[in-house]
Amino acid sequence: MNKIIEVSGLTKNYGPIQAVKNIDFYVEAGKLFAFLGPNGAGKSTTINIICTLLQKDAGGVVVDGFELGKDDQKIRERIGIVFQESVLDQYLTVEENLFTRGSIYGLSRHTVEENTAKAMKVTNIADLAKRRYGTLSGGQRRRTDIARALINRPKILFLDEPTTGLDPQTRKSVWDMIEELRRDEGMTIFLTTHYMEEAEKADFVIVIDDGVIAAKGTPAELKDKYSNDSLRIKPTDRDAAIRILKEAGAAFTETADLIVVPIRATIDALPLLGRLEGLIAGFQVLNGTMDDAFIGITGKEIRE
Amino acid sequence: MILQLVRRNLRVYFRDRASVFFSMLGVIIIIGLYLLFLGNQIAGAGEAAGENARFMMDSWIMGGVVAAASITTAMGAFGTMVDDTQKKIIRDFEVSPVRRWQLVLAYVLSSVCIGILMSFFTFGLAEAYILINGGMLVSLFAFVEVIGLTVLSVCSSCAFVFFLTCFMRTSNAFSTASTILGTIVGFLTGAYIPMGVLPEAVQTVIRIFPVSHAAVLYRRIMIDEAVALELLPADIRQFLGIEFLFGDFVMPAWGHVLILVGTAVVFYALSIVVVARRKHQS
Repeated sequence: MNKIIEVSGLTKNYGPIQAVKNIDFYVEAGKLFAFLGPNGAGKSTTINIICTLLQKDAGGVVVDGFELGKDDQKIRERIGIVFQESVLDQYLTVEENLFTRGSIYGLSRHTVEENTAKAMKVTNIADLAKRRYGTLSGGQRRRTDIARALINRPKILFLDEPTTGLDPQTRKSVWDMIEELRRDEGMTIFLTTHYMEEAEKADFVIVIDDGVIAAKGTPAELKDKYSNDSLRIKPTDRDAAIRILKEAGAAFTETADLIVVPIRATIDALPLLGRLEGLIAGFQVLNGTMDDAFIGITGKEIRE
Repeated sequence: MILQLVRRNLRVYFRDRASVFFSMLGVIIIIGLYLLFLGNQIAGAGEAAGENARFMMDSWIMGGVVAAASITTAMGAFGTMVDDTQKKIIRDFEVSPVRRWQLVLAYVLSSVCIGILMSFFTFGLAEAYILINGGMLVSLFAFVEVIGLTVLSVCSSCAFVFFLTCFMRTSNAFSTASTILGTIVGFLTGAYIPMGVLPEAVQTVIRIFPVSHAAVLYRRIMIDEAVALELLPADIRQFLGIEFLFGDFVMPAWGHVLILVGTAVVFYALSIVVVARRKHQS
């Protein structure tokens, strides 16, 4: 296992407020790593520290073998970052933006031109090359932002809430691109998000809340551990069904016309359904979702 | 690396037509006031030039205009730096392996370039104006002097504006400051009104203001084309700000040059101290 980012005891305070409290984690090379948490949980702070933008107060960070605080320049050469807000120049064309940003990495002109063309190809914006950044749509901008982050051929790509504020269709196309980069370029992707369905696609998820790591694991592990599957039945004879459930010792909750029975695994629904046969009009067996897991972990709905 | 950053800054500045226009606003105001109100009032001062009176007074006003342009355009150019900070674009450079000093140097260099280009442009317009009104273009030698003076004047102005900019964190504060500067620069260089009209206290302020020394030199070079400076009575020369009197001492040309060089050095040094200290804090 190759740890490309290692964080230990990371702490950051803003005056009396502790934004990040002594957290440890690592990121495996070539994996898609998601930082999930509500707004203000410390996601951006952590990402900004790793990207050399913010000074940490305590702890150690090693990125691709280089120690943060000592070899910042080396780290900067190896990372690309997509910020929440756009950081490109309105009045410059897509190509000019990419070329200017590419030329501050100390690469030869030829390499910069090559990288610019490659980045535009990967993000599928070659036909926008001569358009001014300010005239692009939200989705086109986002793709250009990602192209900018790829301009130095980074080993690690950071994305801070890459799909916030985009319409569902654009969100999907951005997401497809991210998965493609990981698959075809073997790039390590580190992203923060507060969308459950995005965290679900990651190889590994860390849930951060109030500056501490509340849970970590693969999406499947998190769902297993923190959410329940459930059996929903629509009874024809409500009282009889409830009596049988009580006999079976199953906990349940009632809604308007449904009875919801939490179960450990979907397979546990079978014996119950056998006993209820004849008393129900229909049923549904549902897997736990990341939403459930998130609520299970933090005890709160995701804050928008 | 720095060259590419400078190129980027130049593009960002020149593509935003409105900001280019507004950085020339101070200059446009001076010319407007001169055409509408002031021209007749001060025409009397040009009597000594005889039939070249008009030529001389046009040269006088344009000397002040070109000097004012060097500072207002420098201010406009530094707007890019403030905007980058406010819009957090600067973070994009901070996550790249470009050093802070390279970044700041690129802003200063591009402002100097913009200042020089725009001042030459203004000088071109000034010459056209003079020519249209029956005057003549400057001689080749005077033109070479103007080139040197413009570089010097812009370097000094940029240093001064750079220092001011160090204390401004928002685009709002910056644009307010540049509006104020654009408005009073006409007074501070003695271009709106001949400085002799103003009270002694204001005249002192003018004499301390770095760019007014550039204005003095522009006037000397340009007016000399219309009438030999020695032919002008001393009180007229001082009234129009063609020479500065410190006590009984008339400041020679090299004195003005020295002041421009000196203020450039001092303000760059002060700015570097401020910028370095700020970086330490954050």
